Amino acid sequence: MVGVKMAAAAAASIRERQTVALKRMLNFNVPHVKNSTGEPVWKVLIYDRFGQDIISPLLSVKELRDMGITLHLLLHSDRDPIPDVPAVYFVMPSEENIDRMCQDLRNQLYESYYLNFISAISRSKLEDIANAALAASAVAQVAKVFDQYLNFITLEDDMFVLCNQNKELVSYRAINRPDITDTEMETVMDTIVDSLFCFFVTLGAVPIIRCSRGTAAEMVAVKLDKKLRENLRDARNSLFTGDTLGAGQFSFQRPLLVLVDRNIDLATPLHHTWTYQALVHDVLDFHLNRVNLEESSGVENSPAGARPKRKNKKSYDLTPVDKFWQKHKGSPFPEVAESVQQELESYRAQEDEVKRLKSIMGLEGEDEGAISMLSDNTAKLTSAVSSLPELLEKKRLIDLHTNVATAVLEHIKARKLDVYFEYEEKIMSKTTLDKSLLDIISDPDAGTPEDKMRLFLIYYISAQQAPSEADLEQYKKALTDAGCNLNPLQYIKQWKAFAKMASAPASYGNTTTKSMGLLSRVMNTGSQFVMEGVKNLVLKQQNLPVTRILDNLMEMKSNPETDDYRYFDPKMLRGNDSSVPRNKNPFQEAIVFVVGGGNYIEYQNLVDYIKALI
Amino acid sequence: MAAEAGTFLLASPLAGGGVRNRNGPPAAGLGPRSPAADVGRPGAGRRGCGSPRVRVAMAVDITLLFRASVKTVKTRNKALGVAVGGGVDGSRDELFRRSPRPKGDFSSRAREVISHIGKLRDFLLEHRKDYINAYSHIMSEYGKMTDTERDQIDQDAQTFMRTCSEAIQQLRAQAHKEIHSQQVKEHRSAVLDFIEDYLKRVCKLYSEQRAIRVKRVVDKKRLSKLEPEPNTKTKESMFSEKVSQNPSKDSEEKPITEEYPEKIPAEAQPELGSWGDGRGEDELSPEEIQMFEQENQRLIGEMNSLFDEVRQIEGKVVEISRLQEIFTEKVLQQEAEIDSIHQLVVGATENIKEGNEDIREEEGPTKAKVPRPQGPAFFRLWNPRWPADVLRRAGRSHFGVSLAQ
Repeated sequence: MVGVKMAAAAAASIRERQTVALKRMLNFNVPHVKNSTGEPVWKVLIYDRFGQDIISPLLSVKELRDMGITLHLLLHSDRDPIPDVPAVYFVMPSEENIDRMCQDLRNQLYESYYLNFISAISRSKLEDIANAALAASAVAQVAKVFDQYLNFITLEDDMFVLCNQNKELVSYRAINRPDITDTEMETVMDTIVDSLFCFFVTLGAVPIIRCSRGTAAEMVAVKLDKKLRENLRDARNSLFTGDTLGAGQFSFQRPLLVLVDRNIDLATPLHHTWTYQALVHDVLDFHLNRVNLEESSGVENSPAGARPKRKNKKSYDLTPVDKFWQKHKGSPFPEVAESVQQELESYRAQEDEVKRLKSIMGLEGEDEGAISMLSDNTAKLTSAVSSLPELLEKKRLIDLHTNVATAVLEHIKARKLDVYFEYEEKIMSKTTLDKSLLDIISDPDAGTPEDKMRLFLIYYISAQQAPSEADLEQYKKALTDAGCNLNPLQYIKQWKAFAKMASAPASYGNTTTKSMGLLSRVMNTGSQFVMEGVKNLVLKQQNLPVTRILDNLMEMKSNPETDDYRYFDPKMLRGNDSSVPRNKNPFQEAIVFVVGGGNYIEYQNLVDYIKALI
Repeated sequence: MAAEAGTFLLASPLAGGGVRNRNGPPAAGLGPRSPAADVGRPGAGRRGCGSPRVRVAMAVDITLLFRASVKTVKTRNKALGVAVGGGVDGSRDELFRRSPRPKGDFSSRAREVISHIGKLRDFLLEHRKDYINAYSHIMSEYGKMTDTERDQIDQDAQTFMRTCSEAIQQLRAQAHKEIHSQQVKEHRSAVLDFIEDYLKRVCKLYSEQRAIRVKRVVDKKRLSKLEPEPNTKTKESMFSEKVSQNPSKDSEEKPITEEYPEKIPAEAQPELGSWGDGRGEDELSPEEIQMFEQENQRLIGEMNSLFDEVRQIEGKVVEISRLQEIFTEKVLQQEAEIDSIHQLVVGATENIKEGNEDIREEEGPTKAKVPRPQGPAFFRLWNPRWPADVLRRAGRSHFGVSLAQ
């Protein structure tokens, strides 16, 4: 479940807001002010897996230390009593968590307890804790209890996901499977709405909601509208009053929430990727901004009988301070390879500079004349030494990206992902295909069975008319020969039959990919990224369906696709959902949320769309 | 209302105050939109880029709700007749239950150290203004601070810092010795790190103001060496006399002039006049004046160049000292690493030695004189799994022979 927020310049990004909220919580819920001569305060942080997922992309261990946290522990682990230390809890208010907390209170593990619940706790559970506290005579020790409303994970400045732990619960499958019961659906919807609600509380703004009719997105919209409305009506406890309004207070606009159902575009999630971040996510093990690599020992021939070298696992964090990542995460892969090469060269130049100084200093004892050079060199040396940490950091990043990009490249070469990408782009933009689909599917070298299935599904989805029975049989046979499971095809067939968009399958615009020749420039400069045989494809950007919908809604353009979208405004007194939007002005800020799961391709597409607007 | 307002500064506020206005007044209407400038910027974690004051929606404080729940539960339990931990009996229980819990000698001592450091910090901050004040010798007694007082402060601060850091070391040793769970150990070492960091920050205060003071003293000395014109002449004419004069008299003169740079030239003149053969005249002949002037010029030039060089050297020395600091830090870091490497190497050497011995044992009772070893030992040793250097070392010459065949 992915949501993208496109903010106007003045608003702090959602990542900043959530980080700030977390830091405040860690500071005993008092706003955090940096004081260089403040006394140290120490505390212990206890979280559950949900809390861990929320905190880990935002705060590093060092930052936790800076906030005074000596230990950070999982709630459901063995914890020893630590005397005389306050404990900050950050957990979901689930049954088992509450039980464990009550146990902690009974065992008197810590000096004082600051309980923070990721989403709002129910009254009855609060009473359970009260009971346990009373029984343990620990009521005075429970210093503060807070509802944090932070039940979402922010991965980028402008992108968030709902959860990582139980993502199957809110996945596309969970929502769209045919055997789902009403109660199950309710639960799923409630989970989604809870997270979205927390998101808007943290953002400090009440959005205007638009969604398509007759979809799961509509159910979410209705529930969210209801929840926001209830909260606003309750004047005493409203979370959206006065001071807490963020950007909304200073703009005269409210943000637009576009709830899109996954079913409007099933081809994009299946599409093979070509930009750096999307590739890393598609091809490697990438979760919560951490990528796990298995380093193979390469193609050396180990001597016969020798024990194979153990593959060491490495994991890297791709964070906002990584400038290279920030700059290139949306770039097409060949560009990334080139840039890594360039960075490496500039780093080597700087390193040589420092080494040269070293040799100059060596002359000191020998030559009187060199002493006159000293005057410059001491200063140079100082600046070189002080720039050393920077240089080392740069080296670390270059190493990181070299490893990651190499891993990605290996996958691309092994599975011929560039071929898939190009072909799919052609299918989706309805340009003529130079190779037959059957050829690619039957090619044993190209790609895993999953890749082939993805390709075929995209073809099936984008086809104006379903292929003839005979053709279909042929394809099915080829796919089965390649080792594919045909169940996805069944589903897509049904989906296509149901989809009201049978008349207008999502059009992807005229995307053309220009191939810059098989042997790219990169190869010629002797880089270690030997991209021979990999096409240097360049994307010509066009808007994906999701982006198009957003464009229409934000700019209030009239378009058959979006005209009958429902309109909800929780702030309006009368809760009628007219399709006529009251707000005639174009929106400045929007949040796009895909019910059923978004992906990095769409994220990148939206980001590019915004850049093009500026 | 349960919700409190929470505001705070993410970075230094903009000069204009308030939030950056996105597009100007809405009347500008169809002006160019600038959405998502956030996207192009580096992520959160940057500070001081002029981001506006971030107001984040407040989390809801339900502590009061919690206390109300406690009351509810109490009354409910009373109504149901359930024995409750709280209440009259409970307070006694509470007392009993609390006392066996070790309050932590560690934490009380840690807090003591912190309060000491706090006192030092307060002391330094209190006297900071006076300490730095350059013009104390012309100010009223109110803000005056003599150098001796400053020295006293310096010394006190230094001893204080030393005792604090010793106390921290002691705490650390004690924490290590006591047997506790891993978590408690980790927690304690982290706490000690925090305290050390606090001490460092307070020491920085002290070293900053000391640096200012030292700099000022150095500047003063520098200025005092370069005397105004008449005095310079006097001094230099006396220098010129150095050559012919009695060194003892000179040494008398020089310190006097150095210490009292503002001394009236008139005072110096009679002294000048008092000694010297043939220079006792009150007036100097024009040639001599000219000569003296030339010499003065020369000396001024020399002094100036000396002064420049000294200043340069000073600068370099400061830089070198900074470098030294950095190097010391790095060297200390490396020391720890080298120690661990040393351990590893020692361990590895042991392993290899043992390995060699094992190989030699395997060779069995047959002595090394046997030219070609037979049987399983041979094959085992000829196993390419063994790295070549071990083979070499174990094999000696005869194995080398057999391998070559």
